[in-house]
Amino acid sequence: MRDAYQEQLDDLADGLAGMCDEVAAAMGKATRSLLEADLQLAEDVISGDVRVDEVRALAEEKAFALLALQAPVATDLRIVVSAIHAAGDLERMGDLALHVAQAARRRHPQPVLPAEVGPYFAEMGRVAVELATKAGAVIRSRDLTAATELESDDDAMDDLHRHLFTVLMGPDWQHGVGPAIDITLLGRFYERYADHAVAVARRIVYVVTGRMPGPLTV
Amino acid sequence: MAPPRLPEQLAELSALLAEMCVAVAGALRRATAALLDRRERLATQVIEGDDRVDALRARVETVATEALLFHAPVAGDLRRVVAAIRAAGDIERMGDLAQHVAEAARRGHPGDLPPEIRQVVAQMGRIGVELALKAAEVVRTRNVLLAVELDGDDDAMDAEHRRILSVLLHPCWSHGVPTAVDLALLARYYERFADHAVVVARETVYAVTGRRPEGLAI
Repeated sequence: MRDAYQEQLDDLADGLAGMCDEVAAAMGKATRSLLEADLQLAEDVISGDVRVDEVRALAEEKAFALLALQAPVATDLRIVVSAIHAAGDLERMGDLALHVAQAARRRHPQPVLPAEVGPYFAEMGRVAVELATKAGAVIRSRDLTAATELESDDDAMDDLHRHLFTVLMGPDWQHGVGPAIDITLLGRFYERYADHAVAVARRIVYVVTGRMPGPLTV
Repeated sequence: MAPPRLPEQLAELSALLAEMCVAVAGALRRATAALLDRRERLATQVIEGDDRVDALRARVETVATEALLFHAPVAGDLRRVVAAIRAAGDIERMGDLAQHVAEAARRGHPGDLPPEIRQVVAQMGRIGVELALKAAEVVRTRNVLLAVELDGDDDAMDAEHRRILSVLLHPCWSHGVPTAVDLALLARYYERFADHAVVVARETVYAVTGRRPEGLAI
């Protein structure tokens, strides 16, 4: 009985780690569609978001089955509840990648980004993908050091976001209100994406430092 | 001491969620007033008051976890507990968004608002407060019809959001890029506040019926 239970917990963790990879890939593609005004890539991300939502629903079903059938005790219960939260964070990351792709599609064939802000988004996209990928790795490895690393990556995102803002708000900005608003909101999507990735990592830290006996799964 | 009975815990969860909704409705009302009337002290009060919402959320998680632990609820009761955990996350986020509005007010951004913008911001504030109060009613009464109604009320917020963007993007806009960017972000905060209120209502529908609202023939 206990083995089947452990298997279910592992399965839940695998599902979440898989979601991390999905939303990392989605944000990678969305960023490229934005930088290269690539409509096909944008469409891929937009149609692919349904899959993230499905995986979330599946993860929740698994969590529910665990709660209903196994009536887990305190520590395991924390894992299941954390998994429900993490699935919510990951779904939102998928939505944010979707918003980026939608912005690329809305302006196509015009590029959304003036040349001088392109590098900021290239870098924010890189950091975002790395954060999601690391969150997946943290789920698989339960490595607390890697979880802490995520926090400093998030600081890098905040710095990029702040710099981006000074460009938009500066006296040299030549592109008017429309692009400034687009870029502001896009910057915010990346920032929120990073926040959610950190939230996922924090949930794992919480589970780990809750002195889980034996091998740990989230 | 014996743990409370499940019906008592469920009732406490509903009461806590309703209290959270009322608190964030008040926060958004005060934040909007602080923004429109440039009242910095009021803005500071909102920012400091957010701790209370966070504490209520922590209490929801504690009660919910105890309910799962001591009573291992199934079916409708299990859905209700899990929905409460999730709804608490959404309501806490509404509090954060009200706080973002207050932070803008405290920084003195975006300064004196042009009249046509004042009107839209006031209206977004009103709609947001109404939605949060309705969400309080939904979580207290678990009234599915009211919950489905709330879904439609969100359209009013979307309409205001479109309206503010059309003002900002109009060629006659004469208040500069930084003001437009501030306002676009503010509008986004109100819009997200409303989105989360809708999610809270949907969670309630799910808890009561076991189905997501889109699958309901109402």
